[in-house]
Amino acid sequence: MKELFMKETEGTSYSHFNGKDALRHIVEVQAEGAMVSSEVHGAETPGSLFAGFDSARDAAVMVALIQLLLSIFGFPQEQTVIFLIAFSAAFISWKAGRSSWLAWARLERLHRIAAEEQKEILENRPQEREELKALYRAKGFEGRLLDEVVDVLMADSDRLLRVMLQEEMGFRLEENEHPLIQGLGAMVGAFVGACIPIMGYYYFDGVGALMGAAISLGAFAGISAYRERNQVIHAIVWNLGMGIFSYAIAYYFMQLVRPGH
Amino acid sequence: MQTAKRYSPFGARRKNPFVFHRFFEMGLEESASPFLSPKARKISQNLPLKASVFAALLLLISYLLSNSSYEPLSQVLLIAVYIIVGSPSLIDSIDDVVFKKDINIDVLMTLAAFSAYFLGAGIEGALLLVLFAISGALEDTVTLKAKNTLSSIHALAPTKAYVLDYKDYATERAVEDVEIGATVLVRAGEIVPLDGIVLAGGSFVSLAHLTGESLPVNKRVGDEVAGGGRVMEGSLTLKVLRTSADSTVSRIIKLVTQAQEAKPKLERWFDRFSRVYAVTIISLSLFFTLFFAHVMGLAYLGPSGAVMRSLSFLITASPCALILAVPIAYLSSLGVSAKKGIILKGGVIFDDLNACSMIAFDKTGTLTLGELVFDSIDTLNEDVSKEAYLTLAASLERNAVHPIAKAIYKEAEKANLPLFSVTDVKVIPGYGVEGRCLVDGKEMALFMGDVKALSERLAPEMASLLLARVQKRQALGQIVACGIFGTSAALFYFEDRPRPDVNQMLERIKKTGRSIVMLTGDHEESASQIARLVGITEYHSALLPEDKLNMISQFSASRGLAMVGDGVNDAPALARATVGICMGKVGSASAQEVADVILLNDNIELLDWLFQKAAQTRRVVRQNLAIAMSAIIFASTASLYGIVPLWLAVVLHEGGTLLVGLNALRLLRDKHD
Repeated sequence: MKELFMKETEGTSYSHFNGKDALRHIVEVQAEGAMVSSEVHGAETPGSLFAGFDSARDAAVMVALIQLLLSIFGFPQEQTVIFLIAFSAAFISWKAGRSSWLAWARLERLHRIAAEEQKEILENRPQEREELKALYRAKGFEGRLLDEVVDVLMADSDRLLRVMLQEEMGFRLEENEHPLIQGLGAMVGAFVGACIPIMGYYYFDGVGALMGAAISLGAFAGISAYRERNQVIHAIVWNLGMGIFSYAIAYYFMQLVRPGH
Repeated sequence: MQTAKRYSPFGARRKNPFVFHRFFEMGLEESASPFLSPKARKISQNLPLKASVFAALLLLISYLLSNSSYEPLSQVLLIAVYIIVGSPSLIDSIDDVVFKKDINIDVLMTLAAFSAYFLGAGIEGALLLVLFAISGALEDTVTLKAKNTLSSIHALAPTKAYVLDYKDYATERAVEDVEIGATVLVRAGEIVPLDGIVLAGGSFVSLAHLTGESLPVNKRVGDEVAGGGRVMEGSLTLKVLRTSADSTVSRIIKLVTQAQEAKPKLERWFDRFSRVYAVTIISLSLFFTLFFAHVMGLAYLGPSGAVMRSLSFLITASPCALILAVPIAYLSSLGVSAKKGIILKGGVIFDDLNACSMIAFDKTGTLTLGELVFDSIDTLNEDVSKEAYLTLAASLERNAVHPIAKAIYKEAEKANLPLFSVTDVKVIPGYGVEGRCLVDGKEMALFMGDVKALSERLAPEMASLLLARVQKRQALGQIVACGIFGTSAALFYFEDRPRPDVNQMLERIKKTGRSIVMLTGDHEESASQIARLVGITEYHSALLPEDKLNMISQFSASRGLAMVGDGVNDAPALARATVGICMGKVGSASAQEVADVILLNDNIELLDWLFQKAAQTRRVVRQNLAIAMSAIIFASTASLYGIVPLWLAVVLHEGGTLLVGLNALRLLRDKHD
């Protein structure tokens, strides 16, 4: 298939392709599209649900670590609870704001890419035709049918842009949530994630905080993996492992540096 | 002739699909984003306004909690208000000062609001920011509408054409890909994609967008057809004469774009004033801070005291009342105008109306009703009554959609004439309509339509008599149709009539000293007839959109000019004029988009009232500015000299705001002098 394409486009040099053939150009653009549309909450799927799961895990780990440090410094339980609530309120606000901001930043990048693609469609029609041909040839269209498909798509610039964004760059249209909704998801997630270890601490002291954080971390890692159709057990064990390691670093570092060591 | 089957990768159509070109035309506006779900786009609509209102609510709660034991919570809410409405102001101010090198009233407001927080008057500062944000968000809403201006004209421009190949198969192509010389097929109801010459077929084509003439034009083999026209019936096979970039519709779009760009930017005197005001207040504050104590040698104005007092001066001199003084007057006038069915796209248009010393009117659909009205019948056979001719014509024409058919049917309906049942009705594209009916037990052939085409069916002497009468009537600006009923023939005359009350309105406008001119794409006879009927002495006829635009540019070069029109052909002129005024009912979507004022019910008789309201608004704005300035001078001077504490100075300052509000309410009266 590729040979056939190469034969057809041999000798055609478009500055738009930067010296590469149309198929190579599409592969590069698809990679760029995937990078642009990827979420900034790690490698997780965009949206309020995943922002919430992520924030819940962050909040649980943060609360457990702060509770540990305060207990090492000998803070009484009542003051520690107030401290943890104040910290959690601030952290929830930060996570909500930051999650919204990241979603807006991502949207801004998507808009910029769409505008650039629109410019290419208007100014480089022959090249866009070659790209479309390569895309639909790869899907199995050949001969007269391939030409007809390309003609139909090229006939409407609005439709063409939609195809190029979806097929060439792999963007999903009309599916993104509003940044404020994503922020709201992060806020709810952080709230739940912080509440569980704080309540654990309130009722069962340091062990309760640690167990609460572990439950939060494990549960949200598991739900998140389930929603993403990833391996749930792997996700729970790895997340708990990372959480315990962070906790251990804080605990043993304090053992190392506190007076009387 | 067949249309090739096409593959659609999208399946069923969505109910409300987003449109990319609208998104780009609106400047990548979030509320039109193709990436956001429809629900998310709805959230994005007027988001700055929603955020401002939310901030106002937070500010109110913060104020209520400020003197209670929940004072810390009040502070948290106050900071939230500063973040929500202060951040955009801060960003804009930094942009203005650093990149645009412009110190304006926005910068002064932001500076005053943030200074107030550090001076312990955070609530007052937040109030300034909230008021500022609400007024800015309202302005953004208007700007967004302006960004949408060209959408309807772009929608008029065809994007696809059915190109015929050598086997006469029609394939859909983008107009950009259709070359000169290609053969395209245009069917009934479709828009002509590109300028071309008719190779086969015939049809009446509506060219309202080019000439403003509501009557469709008959196009036959050999005639040239402009892109953008709508084919009324039948089909046309065209040979493309111009590429899409050179087509008539593209030319109109370019004209509108250029006209909008070239529109005289009447820098409003308030803008100039506000810039001077902002620079003066900021400079004075700096002066008081740095030098006042040392220059004057006053002990109580030592360095630290000078900083505090100059900050107080900055806050009390913040233009709260000034900012309200203008928009509240505009809002009142906008409200009362809307109540009368006049929609203005922004209050500043009142300023522009005041600057207009000349008004240009389009003819068809603006000064006239824009629809054909039956005038009379001219019979060639005296033995048949006029009613009988009208009955036969209406019986046949009730099967057609042409404007002439509608006028005849309407007249017969008005006269309550009993209609015959007509059989074998055939609409012949570019020719007219024919059919048969039984009259007194005898079958009669009926024809109605184009005079030239039907004259070929008559005896030569009768045809020449008919054509001579037609020429005479056309010279009077009338539209003529011919009917042949069996062996008899008749001519039907139609005309467009002036709107009621137009004469009186024009007289009232003339009394204000404004000059009046009529610009039309119609021929000289029709133009002079209407000009005489409505009492206009200066008129220009047979104008193309380009000619209208040139005349508007010429007239408005030295003075403000208002243009009143309705058609797409008027759109460039409406965009170019100081104020474009469009008819709401008969007006095309494109004309309404580019116009500054829309007369919702085509109530052109209220034009003089609108000019009167604009003058009244200017008077109230000036009074308001005087009140606001007095309040600011008094409060800022008092706080600068320490005569009153800051909180009292702010209260005095807000008193000015209340007064300007009450004064502006006077504009809500809709008195018509």
